[in-house]
Amino acid sequence: MNTFIQLVISGVLIGSVYALMSIGLTLIFGVLRIVNFAHGEFLMIAMYGAWAFTQVFGLNPYLAAVAIVPAMSLFGAVVYRLIVSPALDKPHLVIVFATMALSIFLQNAALMTMTADLRDIPPIFNHSISIGPIFLRPELLLGFLITIACTVGLQWMIKKTYFGKAIRATVQDGEAAMLMGIPVPRIFLMTFAGGSALVGLSACVMMPLFSVFPSVGLNFVLIAFVIVVLGGMGSIEGALLGGICVGVTQSLSSYYVAPAFGQMFFFVLFLLVLIFRPNGILGQQGAATIGMNE
Amino acid sequence: MSVEFRPTRISMLPKRGQISWFEILSLSISILLIIPGIAPNFQDVILLSFLFGGLALAWNISGGYAGLISFGHSAFFGVGAYTSTILLVNYGVSPWIGVWIGALFSAVLGSVLALICARLRGPFFILSTLAFAEVVRIGALNWSSLTGGPEGLSIMPTPLLTNMVFASKTTYAALMLTYLVLVYFVTKSLEASRFGYYLLAIRDNEDAASAAGVNPLAGKTAALALSAALTGVGGSLFAQYFLYLDPTYMISPELSFQFALLPAVGGLGTAVGPVLGSFLITPLSELLRSHLGNAAAGLHLVIYSFSLVIVMLYFPTGVAGALNRVSHWRPFS
Amino acid sequence: MSALLQVNNIRRAFRTTLAIDDVSFDVQPGELLGLIGPNGAGKSTLFNLIAGVLPSTSGQIIFDGKRVTGWKSHDIARIGVGRTFQIPKPYRQLSVVENVMLSAFLREKSLAGARRLAEATLVDVGLTDYIEAPASSLSVGLLKRLEVARALAMGPKLVLFDEIVAGLTPTEVGAMTKFVAALPSRGITVIWVEHVLYAIMKTATRMLVINRGKLIAEGAPAAIARHPAVVKAYLGEEMDIA
Repeated sequence: MNTFIQLVISGVLIGSVYALMSIGLTLIFGVLRIVNFAHGEFLMIAMYGAWAFTQVFGLNPYLAAVAIVPAMSLFGAVVYRLIVSPALDKPHLVIVFATMALSIFLQNAALMTMTADLRDIPPIFNHSISIGPIFLRPELLLGFLITIACTVGLQWMIKKTYFGKAIRATVQDGEAAMLMGIPVPRIFLMTFAGGSALVGLSACVMMPLFSVFPSVGLNFVLIAFVIVVLGGMGSIEGALLGGICVGVTQSLSSYYVAPAFGQMFFFVLFLLVLIFRPNGILGQQGAATIGMNE
Repeated sequence: MSVEFRPTRISMLPKRGQISWFEILSLSISILLIIPGIAPNFQDVILLSFLFGGLALAWNISGGYAGLISFGHSAFFGVGAYTSTILLVNYGVSPWIGVWIGALFSAVLGSVLALICARLRGPFFILSTLAFAEVVRIGALNWSSLTGGPEGLSIMPTPLLTNMVFASKTTYAALMLTYLVLVYFVTKSLEASRFGYYLLAIRDNEDAASAAGVNPLAGKTAALALSAALTGVGGSLFAQYFLYLDPTYMISPELSFQFALLPAVGGLGTAVGPVLGSFLITPLSELLRSHLGNAAAGLHLVIYSFSLVIVMLYFPTGVAGALNRVSHWRPFS
Repeated sequence: MSALLQVNNIRRAFRTTLAIDDVSFDVQPGELLGLIGPNGAGKSTLFNLIAGVLPSTSGQIIFDGKRVTGWKSHDIARIGVGRTFQIPKPYRQLSVVENVMLSAFLREKSLAGARRLAEATLVDVGLTDYIEAPASSLSVGLLKRLEVARALAMGPKLVLFDEIVAGLTPTEVGAMTKFVAALPSRGITVIWVEHVLYAIMKTATRMLVINRGKLIAEGAPAAIARHPAVVKAYLGEEMDIA
């Protein structure tokens, strides 16, 4: 029984870390109605950035966030201007292919400059925290706390600030928002940049837990997609909930079922969600069957 | 499916559902290219361009005509390849037969994908195809007793007609060209048929199609099954050429992307487009791989993907779209 | 004579709202039934229910003697129900004639036959000048005409017109109204939802008025115009039959 509780708790913690990585993706979809297929590579770049920061300055990656978050925000803005914005008024497949191509570009640029070697940072914490019979890795706990803080902060921003209201208006009806004087293209840019900034933060949280290599994005982007669909595209609480579901599922199935099939389990879960509840648990009604650009 | 060709009037440039001089010329040139001695250094590239041209055409049936953008077609490629290879290696069944059984299995898999995912639209559908292919890949990787697992499967390299293993690349090139012509013929017939129009209607406006009596789910399922079957055939031929199956490559997202990319660059929803796309991209990527692949791992893909982004942003209708604009250009009217 | 369409106690609930509340009516063959009501009354929802696009929460729909409640829209289309969309939904990358051919395939299996039928229908609605034009190049007014052509090319027994003259010039409205008025004599029963009241009042043989999901009045156009509940529903708007 203790094992089970341990697995569930670890699952919740890692799930929250996955959730942090997915919030950017779900926000971008909710506001811009596009899926950024290069999302995993954004994470990869940010992770390399966090790693480099720790190598050069000897600081821990949590502090690296101070530099990485703004840097990723800028990176996101550049990608938006150069690739996303010109593609928005074209047939949908253009943005799909363009972000896919960007993904390949970034992976191989990383391969060329950093080689395929795995990069790690030296461990920060030396022992686990124990609460009763449960052991918790401090990196996971910290990640969990950062995610919760972030989610609360974002929710506050969305509900209480003008920017948040503008975002909600754009999500509901972009044209009407424009007519009301909301600078929709600016909102798009800021959302994309903001989503990228969140990816940067999550990279700093993930660096103590995972190694980085050029194709690390592929592992995580599929997880992010599952989380976003599960939680409902465009919903921040949904991303958190989805992340926890995924984390717990992965934790339990890796232990009780063979680890190899553990991964497949999770895609099957994804397909099941797509079939039975394509709008996710907390998402917008009909989003999946209406798609976008209709 | 009623086929209508109008042989009395052949147009210059490609038109939907009809033969054109452009196509006849291209076919003639392709046949010439196979002849040994004409292009000895390029046999590999030509062969692969034919094969990927066929694969691109196959993808285009569900992707370009029915509008179902799939990034999971490598699952069908792999299933076709594994089926014919397992039948050959374990049961001695000739690939000349095995290819069709592989196509059948791929068609079934394609129908399953449609039944599960065809109700989804936009990026949700695309994501579901990715997940689907991953499930198939992980299954293939772990079902070692059937597929040989991560070590893959090998075919005996001794040339033998009944085993579809040949000594000369010329024969392989002829085989690949035959595949290309086959899929091309299926595509053209589709264009000239009622079923083809149903797919276009489903693609352009599913609600209107329903209101006109077209069953969108049935149409999508048929399109995916056909596309999957033809992709499976390509997979089998690939296996017969390379003589080695590796699940990490055969059922990969990278390969799936390739199948979608070639038609997109060449022109979706046209017959000529995917072929043009293949002849543009396949030699380019081989060229980049051979000249730059060693200098810095990944540089060729950097250049390649960068060009892609440019093409996508500035030529969304692809090469065939540009050709079409040229064909409407009337400088003297 | 038994009714072509019977709508019995149809209800459609969306989460907390009752979009259609216990609506019942019959449509006889050869009728030109007008359906009016203020914005948001539920007219398009009713069309979507009849056409099978939306499932009803309860109630029955019987068309041509068949129970079609719960049928999918493509199946209902196949047994003779044609419809237009309030916001036109053309097949954008196909030409005008190809748009109509799709509908014509219900009657003609061959491409050549469907094309002939499509061309004839386009002559009927006056779109011959645009036969080969891509549908994406048409203005809204012409697209509405295309919607009508597509519905008619199916050879329907019943046709559901959804605001087909809204936004057209008075001349165009006149022409379309004349056209629609002639349909029953060609064996096509019509249910017409419209906001341009004078058009529909002149041509309808019978009117239904719907407000807030309920049927509030039924009868001849002249009687409807004076019906107190109807006038109230339109907030005192005077209805001009001339």
